[in-house]
Amino acid sequence: MPRTMTELPPLAERVHVLESGDAQVLALPTPIDRVVSFEGSFSTVPDFAAGEETIQHLAVRLLDKGTTRRDRFALAEALEDRGAELSFTADGLRCRFSGRCLRDDLPDVLQIAAEQLRAPLFDDAEFEKERARHAAALRRALDDTGSQARAALARRMYAPAHPNYRADPADELVFLQGLTVDDVRAFHANHFGARNLQVVLVGDLDPHAAGDAVRRSLGDWMVATRRGSFETAATPLTPGREDVPMPDKQNLDVRIGLPLALRRDHADYLPLYVGTYVLGGNFSARLMTRVRDEQGLTYGIGARLGGIAVEHDAYFVTSVTLSRENLDRGIEATLAEISRFAEGGITDEELDEKQTTLKGIFRVGLATTGGLAQALLTNAERGFDVAYLDRFPERIEALRVESINDAVSRHIDPLRLHLAVAGTLHAPLR
Amino acid sequence: MQSPNPIAHDAYTFVRTSGGIAEYRLDSNGLQVLLLPVAAAPVVAFMVTYRVGSRNERAGLTGATHLLEHLMFKGTERYNKDRGTSIFPTLQRVGALLNATTWLDRTNYYELLPSEHLELAVEIEADRMRNARIRDEDLDSERTVVLNELDRGENDPMRKLVHAVSAAAFFAHPYGHPTIGWRSDVERVTAEGLRHFYDTFYWPDNATASVIGDFDAEEALDLLARHFGAIPSAPDHFEFPVTDEPPQIGERRVTVRQAGQLGSVLMAFKGPAGLTHEADALDVLAVVLGGGKSSRLYRHLTDRGITTGTYAWMPRLRDPGLFYVFANLAPDVEHASAEEAIWEVIDGVIADGVTETELTRARRQLLADEAYGRDGAFAIASQLNEAIAVGDWTLYTEYLSRLEAVTPDAIREAARRTFNRDRLTVGHYLPVLPEATAAEAA
Repeated sequence: MPRTMTELPPLAERVHVLESGDAQVLALPTPIDRVVSFEGSFSTVPDFAAGEETIQHLAVRLLDKGTTRRDRFALAEALEDRGAELSFTADGLRCRFSGRCLRDDLPDVLQIAAEQLRAPLFDDAEFEKERARHAAALRRALDDTGSQARAALARRMYAPAHPNYRADPADELVFLQGLTVDDVRAFHANHFGARNLQVVLVGDLDPHAAGDAVRRSLGDWMVATRRGSFETAATPLTPGREDVPMPDKQNLDVRIGLPLALRRDHADYLPLYVGTYVLGGNFSARLMTRVRDEQGLTYGIGARLGGIAVEHDAYFVTSVTLSRENLDRGIEATLAEISRFAEGGITDEELDEKQTTLKGIFRVGLATTGGLAQALLTNAERGFDVAYLDRFPERIEALRVESINDAVSRHIDPLRLHLAVAGTLHAPLR
Repeated sequence: MQSPNPIAHDAYTFVRTSGGIAEYRLDSNGLQVLLLPVAAAPVVAFMVTYRVGSRNERAGLTGATHLLEHLMFKGTERYNKDRGTSIFPTLQRVGALLNATTWLDRTNYYELLPSEHLELAVEIEADRMRNARIRDEDLDSERTVVLNELDRGENDPMRKLVHAVSAAAFFAHPYGHPTIGWRSDVERVTAEGLRHFYDTFYWPDNATASVIGDFDAEEALDLLARHFGAIPSAPDHFEFPVTDEPPQIGERRVTVRQAGQLGSVLMAFKGPAGLTHEADALDVLAVVLGGGKSSRLYRHLTDRGITTGTYAWMPRLRDPGLFYVFANLAPDVEHASAEEAIWEVIDGVIADGVTETELTRARRQLLADEAYGRDGAFAIASQLNEAIAVGDWTLYTEYLSRLEAVTPDAIREAARRTFNRDRLTVGHYLPVLPEATAAEAA
C-alpha cells in the first residue's frame, strides 16, 4: 500500500481561534504557497414574510458598486490590480463574503471588504441598474426547468415566512418594481453588522498577523440593531403534484420531497444524512444504480437533505432529470426506490460501504484552502467547535444500521411526498 | 517550484522536468508519466488523459468519444457489476471522487482519493485501458442516459447557440460538431462502432498518466510499471489526419430561436492554435476585455445597462480555434445595439491597443489565477489535462513566463489579426416568448 507522506494533526490543534466580542476569527496555516482563502459571514435575519430577502439580495449586490470613499471602478481596480477575488452573497439568515488573494495582499483585501460591508454608497443610479439586472436574472430563471421545479416544490412545503420558501420569479418581479434605494439603505443600516460575525482564513499566513488584519478592518464594526422574524417549521400543502408547463424544454426537471421536523443539531440528523446518502448521495447510490445504470431513464438523479440549519427545519429532496418520453416511467421508478428506502431502510453492507466513502470524501474535501475555509465557516456558524470536524469521521463510523433505519422510518413517509415537475409536458400539436 | 531530482528506474526513461513536474516514459509501451508531489494534504489525484476527443470523430460517429467515455464505467472482465466490483462503487467505497470528461482534443479519467488507495485507482485505469467490456446491452441503457444528457443541453439556448456558431464557423474541421454528438449519430452508433473507436485510440502510447499530490515518487513509478507495464503499445503508429479548415473569407451569421425571455449575442473569431505565442497575447487580451468589473466590456456594456453579463475567452486547442465574445442582453436591448457596442470596444483595441496599466492588471490577475490553480491536486490536474490536450504539458508549467513575455505591441497585433470581420461568425439567440410558442404549437 502506498505510503501517506503527509501526516496532519487534528484541526483543533492547527486552527487558531481568535475571539473578539461577538466575533470569532479562525486562522489556519497550510503548506500552500502564497495563497490565502477567506470566508466570513454575519447574521442579518431579514423579515421573510415582508419580502426583505429580496431587499437583502439587492443590498449585497450593491456592495461592489461604490463606497463613500471610492467609486465602483476604483473598487474593482483595487482588487483586480492585486489579482484578488472577493464576492458577497446572501443566504437566508446570514450574509457571506468570500475570496482568495495572494499572501501579501491579505490586509489590503480585508480592508476593501470591510469598506464595502460598512460604508456602501447605495447610489440611486446604481440601484436602478442593479434592479434591472436582478429583473433580468429572474426572467432568465423563468426559463430554467431546475429553478422552476425547485421553487415549486419549496412553495408546496413552506410559507413565505420560512427561510426555505422560494417565491415565484413572476411574483418577485412585481415586488421588485415597488422597491426604492431607501429600502436598501434602511435594510443595511438596521441589519448589517458584526452580529455573530465569523471570519475564517486558511492558507499561507501567519495566524496572529491575519487576526490583527481582521481586527483592524472589522474589529469596531457595531452589532446590528434589528432582527426580522421567520417561521421555523414547515406548513405544507396536502401532499400532491404541481406541474410547471414550459415550452421548448424536452428535458424535464422533477423534484420529489417532503419537509422534515429536523434541524442540524437534532440527534436524527446524522443517521438520516447517511441513510439519504445510501439512497442518492453518489454514483453508486441506489437511485443512480437502479434508475440510471440499470434502467437508463435519466442522466442525473440524487437525493439529499436541504435547507439545513440549526435555526429552522430542513427538508428531504430527490432530484431527477427526465426526457419527456421517459417522464412517467422515471417518476414511477424514482418513487418506487424512495418507498423501498422508507419501508425497508438500508443494509449493513450499504452502511459499511458508505461509511468508508463519507470518511474519504470528508478528507478529500479538506484538501484545499477553499474547502477548509468553507467547512470551518459552516461549522462555526452552526455553533460547533473546531473539534467537531475532527470527530465527524468517528461519528459517522459509530452509526449503526438500526439507528439509521429508525430515523428513516420516523422522517420519510412516502404518503407525505410532494412532486414538482417543470418542462414541456406534452408533445407540440403540429 | 523547485524541480525534483530525476529518479533512475529500470522501467522508465526520464524525459525532463518543468515547474516541479517530472516526465518519464514507460519503456515497454510509451506511456507518458507525469509526477508532481505536493505534500499539502494526505490525498492524491490520479488521471489518465487520452489524446482523443470529438476532433477525432467522423460523420456518422459524432459523439462516439463521449459515449465511449460513459461505457468505460460499465467495467472490464475484472471490474464489473456481475462480480460486484463495478468501478464507481469500488472506488467510491474508499472515498474517491471520480469521473471522466470528454472535450474536443482529449478524454480524461480521474480519481481524487486518500493517498493510501492510489494503487486501486492505478489498477482500475490500467485494466480498462485495454480490457473494457463494450457490450450491446450496456450501450442500450447508456444510450438513453446520454440522450437525456443531450436533451438537458438542448433546454439551454446558450448551448444551442454555441453549437450553431461552431457548426457555421467550421465547415470542414471536426471542431464544428458538438462533443456530445448530433442526435441521430448518438441514436444509431453501435457497440461495434465504439469498440473500433476504442481499439483505435485507447493505447498507452496515446495516453498520459498523471499523479499529483501526496505520494512517494519512486513508489508511484513502481505502481505504474506494475499495472501499465504489460499493456502493449498500439499496433499502428498514430497518424489520424484531421481536415484543415479552409480560410474563412466573409462573415457568417446564424440565429437560434427558442422559447425564452432575453436574448444573447455570441461573436466567434477564428483564432490561432493553442501552442502559439499569439494565443498568449490573446489570453491577456481576453482578461483586458472581459476579466472583472474593471474590464472594457463590463464598463462599456454591462455598466451602461446594455447587457447583464459579458465574457471574452479563447479556449486553447490543438488546432486553430475560436475567440469568443459573448453578451447576455438586458431587457429591451436589440441584438444589433449590443453587437455595435462590442465592436466599439474591439475597434478601440485595434486602434490604440491596451494600456500598460491594463496589461499589468491582467498579468497580475493571471499570476494570481496560476497560484490559485495550485490549490489542491484536483485543480492542478484539471489544468495539466488541458495542456496535455493541446499537445505539450509544459504549457501549464511555463504559462506564467509566456505571459510575462507578452507586450502591448503583441496584443495589438494579435487583436488586428484576430478581430477581422471576414473571419467572424455571429450568433443571435432570439427568445420566443412562451405565449408565442404556445400559439404556434396549437
